[in-house]
Amino acid sequence: MAPFPVQAIFEGDFVVLLVPVDDEQPMTEVAQAVAHHVVGKRVPAQDRPMKVSYQGAELADDATITSSQIGPLDVLRVAYA
Amino acid sequence: MPALPRSEWYDLTRDMNWNVTYVEESEVWPEDLSHSLDIPAEAWWTWDEPYKITYPEYVHNQTGKDESVYAVNQVVSRSKLFDNLDPGWKAAILAHYGAIAVPEYTAGIGEARMARFGRAAAWRNMATYGTLDETRHGQIQTYFPHGLLAREPRADWAHKAMHTNEWGAIAARHLFDDMFTANDAVSMALQLTFTFETGFSNLQFLGMASDAMQVGDLDFSSLISSIQTDEARHAQQGEPTMKILLEHGKKDEAQKLIDHMFWRSWKIFALLTGASMDYYTPLEARSHSFGEFMNEFIIKQFTDQFRDFGLERPWYWESHFLKELEWYHHATHMGIYFWRPTVWWNPDAGVSPEERDWLEMKYPGWNDSFGKIWDVIGENARAGRIENTLPETLPMICNMCQIPLCNPGGYLMGKLESPEPFTHIHNGRKYSFCSEPYKWIFVQQPARFQGHLSFIDRFLAGMIQPPDLMGGLAYMGISPEEMGQDATNFEWAMPTPIKIKAS
Repeated sequence: MAPFPVQAIFEGDFVVLLVPVDDEQPMTEVAQAVAHHVVGKRVPAQDRPMKVSYQGAELADDATITSSQIGPLDVLRVAYA
Repeated sequence: MPALPRSEWYDLTRDMNWNVTYVEESEVWPEDLSHSLDIPAEAWWTWDEPYKITYPEYVHNQTGKDESVYAVNQVVSRSKLFDNLDPGWKAAILAHYGAIAVPEYTAGIGEARMARFGRAAAWRNMATYGTLDETRHGQIQTYFPHGLLAREPRADWAHKAMHTNEWGAIAARHLFDDMFTANDAVSMALQLTFTFETGFSNLQFLGMASDAMQVGDLDFSSLISSIQTDEARHAQQGEPTMKILLEHGKKDEAQKLIDHMFWRSWKIFALLTGASMDYYTPLEARSHSFGEFMNEFIIKQFTDQFRDFGLERPWYWESHFLKELEWYHHATHMGIYFWRPTVWWNPDAGVSPEERDWLEMKYPGWNDSFGKIWDVIGENARAGRIENTLPETLPMICNMCQIPLCNPGGYLMGKLESPEPFTHIHNGRKYSFCSEPYKWIFVQQPARFQGHLSFIDRFLAGMIQPPDLMGGLAYMGISPEEMGQDATNFEWAMPTPIKIKAS
């Protein structure tokens, strides 16, 4: 478990964010960490699950930064499913 | 007064060139500082400025300008003019002073470099006036805000900003160091005077002077008009330099220098002038939208210049520049507003219902993209959830322009194929860029840019402590009293009061 910086883009937002996550967190938590800075602040909340994509591919909910071989400051995209 | 007519002594004083014999040419004009491009010395001696002036005339003119503009300032400073200005306009001039005043001094360093390392005596003569001009601009643009301190303590940032690590100051330094503080004479003539001054700031100053009069800011209008008259003269160093390069087959070099600095100038121009024209200037005082101003003045002038010199428009003109015109400044404005504690002025949201109608009219599609984000910010403001209108993390920053990566904003408006930044690995380090032209500029000269650390690089390197937003603000030199706030205390988001007619 180690802090890990990623570049994050939430669908519907206008800016790329620096978001610290944990390299062993499941993607459901990574999505929440990104959404914390966007949903209800610049993008309306929706009652739907969120998905994380990396290099064009959607990641499994239980995938982690480590298991997905995501590098520091790689770009993750988060969107409502 | 001289006993001889001007025409009999003028060229002797402005254009006395000679061959060096005791030392090598390369020792007098080192390539790193002159960038002569192997063009022979005598060829440079044909350098001929379109606007000619003698030193006595220069002193006479400048004295008159100073007397006039300081007289206006003396009168206006005793009035309540500044207190009564629109809050958005106050934001525009505070942003301007912080970003421009001290860089004017450093532009004087650039002009002095041309005055020493330019390859023609006439050029060096002209650049000497330019050095004096820029010194005057630095003085006048720190003196005027100094007079505002009792009413607006953050006018202090006219002097302070460039001595801090505030993110906008880092962005301005990165640009201006590239453009003049760390540039050679020939590149500077094409990049500072031909591209930035002739193309952007000279026209911008005309527009700002006009807008200032519209909002009743006589002080700023006279200041900026006075500066513009100097710019119009010393900016003409670019044209004769360009002619010599083209006559000696250096079109590719000239084109590359312009393509490089046009993109850089566009970005900072959009950030500052875009927000000022489309969001900070009161609706009733707007003569043009930023997009219209760009099209009618900046683009027209550049297109004419490119045609006249036989140059091409920059390679990214259609594919990137014209598309960014429609969205980029909306995104940077929103970024400055949301991260307003990180700037030294009070950003005006500028999105009241009437202003939104105007934005949609000028930029079709604004409501469905940026408007939707402002909807959420407005809802939070109306509900009193002010904490939700403020940031808790940092935006990523472009490793070239040092401005937040707003690519998702372009994607939202359908102008970019992807919201993701452009990345590049160089010597094992990952660099992120807001745009393909910036990646291109970096790749052309990696040694020039590779060592710079963006605000995010510094944050991740542990240079900013504590590693949170408050630590970031302290690193930027922004005290709690100085942090930017909503310029109108969220008036823009509140329902318009219903006017009841008296019976």
